[in-house]
Amino acid sequence: MEFCILSIIRQGEVYPSDLVEKMKSANLHILEGTLYPLLTRLKNAGVLTYRWVESNSGPPRKYFVMTEQGLQFYHELELTWNELAAAVSALTQPLTTTNNS
Amino acid sequence: MKKVININFQGRVIPIEESAFEMLKGYTDSLRRCFANEEGRDEIINDIESRIAELFGEALKKGSVCITDSQVNTIIDNMGRPEELNQDEPGLNPGAASQHQSATANDAQNMPPYRDKLFRDNNDKFLGGVCGGLAHYFKLDPAIIRVAFALATIGWGSGIILYILLWIILPSRTLAGIASTKRLYRNPDEKVIAGVASGIASYFDIAIWIPRIIFALPLVFGILSSFLNKYFHWFYNHESFSKIVFSSFGGTLLVIYAVLWAIIPEAKSATEKLEMRGEKVDLNSIKNTIQEDLQGFKSRAEKWGKDVSEKAQQMGEEVTQTVKETSANVVNETRPIAKSGISRLANAIGILFKAFFMFIGGVISLALLAALVAILFAGASVFPLKDFVLDSAPQQVLAWLFLLLFFGIPIIAFITAFIRRIMGVKSGNNYLGYTFAGLWVIGLVSGIFLLAGFSKHFEVKAREKQEYAIAQPSSGKLLVTVADSEISTTTISSGIKVSGLLRIDGDSLQLSNISVHVEKSNDSLYHVTGTRLSNGKDGEEARKNLVNIQYGFTQQDSVLKLNRGIHLAPNAKFRNQQLVLTIQVPVGKKIQIDRSVRNRFFFLNIADNEDGDDWSDFETKNNWRTGVEYEMTQEGLKRTGNTDNLKSWDGDKEDETNPMQDYRKSRRQLENELEKKNRELDEIKKELEKPAEPKKVALHTVPSDKKAFFYWFQSANSNSAVIREDKVAAAAYIFYHKLI
Repeated sequence: MEFCILSIIRQGEVYPSDLVEKMKSANLHILEGTLYPLLTRLKNAGVLTYRWVESNSGPPRKYFVMTEQGLQFYHELELTWNELAAAVSALTQPLTTTNNS
Repeated sequence: MKKVININFQGRVIPIEESAFEMLKGYTDSLRRCFANEEGRDEIINDIESRIAELFGEALKKGSVCITDSQVNTIIDNMGRPEELNQDEPGLNPGAASQHQSATANDAQNMPPYRDKLFRDNNDKFLGGVCGGLAHYFKLDPAIIRVAFALATIGWGSGIILYILLWIILPSRTLAGIASTKRLYRNPDEKVIAGVASGIASYFDIAIWIPRIIFALPLVFGILSSFLNKYFHWFYNHESFSKIVFSSFGGTLLVIYAVLWAIIPEAKSATEKLEMRGEKVDLNSIKNTIQEDLQGFKSRAEKWGKDVSEKAQQMGEEVTQTVKETSANVVNETRPIAKSGISRLANAIGILFKAFFMFIGGVISLALLAALVAILFAGASVFPLKDFVLDSAPQQVLAWLFLLLFFGIPIIAFITAFIRRIMGVKSGNNYLGYTFAGLWVIGLVSGIFLLAGFSKHFEVKAREKQEYAIAQPSSGKLLVTVADSEISTTTISSGIKVSGLLRIDGDSLQLSNISVHVEKSNDSLYHVTGTRLSNGKDGEEARKNLVNIQYGFTQQDSVLKLNRGIHLAPNAKFRNQQLVLTIQVPVGKKIQIDRSVRNRFFFLNIADNEDGDDWSDFETKNNWRTGVEYEMTQEGLKRTGNTDNLKSWDGDKEDETNPMQDYRKSRRQLENELEKKNRELDEIKKELEKPAEPKKVALHTVPSDKKAFFYWFQSANSNSAVIREDKVAAAAYIFYHKLI
C-alpha cells in the first residue's frame, strides 16, 4: 500500500484527493480516512514533506512531495517488491504449467 | 422540516442541518478516538476536517443551500468510517497481505484483536473489569452480568469470591467494543411520555409495543376493572383480585418508569442513537489494528523486505505464511504465559488488597445508607410526637422538609448513582446532581430554621413547688418504688415508646423526666414535695406550661408508688418539663429507694443535699445505691445493715463521719490484703523449699562412674517412677560430670 502511494507521489507533488482518484483508476480503492493518517505517518518518518498551495476555492491545500530520504526508501521498497514479485511469479508459474499439462 | 445552523468549520462558515451536524460531530469524535494513541493525531484530524470542509464548499458552490444528512453521509462514506479504514487494505494486493502477516509476527506488541479469549476489560470497568470482559466475551451487555454478579453476591455470597478469582486469573486488556456497545437510552424519536419504553425496546431488540404494553397494562386493567365494578357488581370477586394484583404492580411499574426516566439519558447525538440501536459505532474496534499498521512503519517495511527476500528464496510463499502464522500464534500464546509467573502473583496480592479495601468501602457506604434509611424511618415513626413538639404549621412544614430532604435525598442520590454505574450510563449533564444538592440544602436550611424556632421555646425556665400529702408509714420506713405503667396495655396498640423517655398514650404524652431527692426532714414527719419545672418562650408561657404537668403517686402504708411519668395534656407541648420529687425523711427513720426507680426513670438524681432550691447543681453521690436501706441521722443518710450488698462493719459508726468511714474501710481492706499476700508469700516459700529435698537424696543415688551411670539411667528410664523423681538430678549429674 505504502509502496503504491509512494510511487504516485514520486511522480510529482500531489494532493491527497487526487491521489485517491489515481489509485481508483488503477483499481485500488482506498479511503481518504485511511490515507491521511498514512501520509502523516510517512511525513513524520521523514519520507514525505508537504507545502501549502493556495487554492482558488476554499482553504489552502497540502501538497505532498517526496524527500531525498524518501526516494532512497522508495528504491529499497522497489527492490524488495521486485524480488517478491519475481519469487511469487516463479513459484506460481510451474504450478500453472503442471496444472495445464 | 429541519433546523439549520451555521458552524465555523476549518475557518469557513457552513450552513448545516442540525442532525447532519450531530452526525459530523460524532464522526470527528469517533476519528479522534480512533487515532487516540496516534502521534500526529491532531494533524490527521485537521487534514481530514479540512478536506471535509473543502467538499462542503464544493457542495455549497454547486447550489446547495445547506449541508444535509445525505451529503454528510456520502462524505463520510468517501472518507471511510473508522471501522472500515483498514478493512480493505489486506485485500489490496498480495504484498500488503503478507506484510500484514509479517507485521503481526514480528511485532508481537501489537496484539491482533482478541475476539475469542476471555480478558478483563480495561475500557469498561466498574471494579476490575471482569464483568466487562465477560460481557465482551459472551457479547452481552455488561449491566446484565453485573446485576447477575450482584445477585449472586447477595444471594449466596459466591459472586464476590468468583469475581475476585476471575480478577486475579484473567489478564487485563483494553478490549475494543467489538461486542455489544448497546446502551440503554431514552428514545426521543418515538416517545409517548419520555421514550423509556421505546428505549427499552431497542435495547432488547423487541417491538416497541411490548414494553409499552407492560407499562400500560396494569393501568388499563385498573381502569377496566373499576369500570367493570361500577357497572357489573357481580364481578366483584374478580375485581378485588385484579385490584390486589394490578394496583400494587401498576404502582411499582409507574415508579420504575419514573426512576428510569430520571436515570437513563436521552439519546441525543447520532452516536448515542447508534449506540442505542446497537449498531456498530465501534471505532475503537479497529483502532488497534490501524495503529498497528501505522506504528513504526519504516522499520517494519525494512524488516518485511529482509524477511520476504530471505524466505522467498528458501521456500514457497505458502510455507512462509503457515510458518509465520504458527509463529505468530506461538508468540501470542507464549507471551501471556511468560508474562505471568511472578508478576502475576504480585498482581494477585495487589488485587486482593484492592478488593479488600473496596469491600470495606462498600460495607461502609452500605452502612451509611442503612443508617440514613433507619433515621428516615425512625423519624417517620416518631412523627406522632410532632404535635407535642411543634406548635405552628410552618414548623411542621419545616420538619417535613428537613426529614425528607436532608435524609431522603442522599438515599435517592446514592441509589441513583449506583444504578447509573451498573447500567454504564454516562452522566450527560449535571442537572440531576444540582437538583439533588439543591434539595439537600433546602432540607439543611429548613432543619436550621426548625432548630432556631424550636430553641426559642426553651429560653425561660419556670418552677413551682407543691407539697403532696402523705400518710406517715407505721413501720418507720418508706419504700419508694415506681408503679408499673398503668397504660402498658394501650402502649402496645396505640402508643409509641421512645427510648424510655417519652411515651404516647392515646393523645397525651408521658415523660419520665423525673428526679428523686432525699433530704432530712425538719420535723418528725415524712414530707413529699414536687417541684415542677418547665421551659417556655417567656415567663408567662413557661408558667402556663407548668399547669399542664400532671403527676401523682399512690401510697400503701409504707410503700410509695410513684407514677411512671409526667402526663402532659393532649394539646400541651413538650417544653422540657421536669419534676423533682423531694422526699424528706425525719431523723431516726428509714428510707429505701427501689431499683425500679433507677430502671424506669430516665433522669434519676438521688441526692441528699440540703439546699434544695439550687437545682442547677445536683450532687449525685456515687455511693448512693438503690435497693439499699438507709437511715436518716443528724449528719445525713447512713446505710443500715439490712442489705446484703456490702458487709456491715462493727465499730462506733454513730460518731464517724463519712470520709472517716471510708478511710477506715480502705485501711481494713488494705490490712486484709496485706495479710493475704503474706500468706501467699509463705506458701510460695514453702513450695520453693519442698523440691530441694528429693534432689539431694537423688544425687546420692546417682552412680558417679560413667558406665554405672548409664546403666542406672537406662534402668531408670525403663522405670518411669524412678525417672520422674530423679530427672533433675540426672540432668545435673550429666552436666556436672560432662558426660555428654
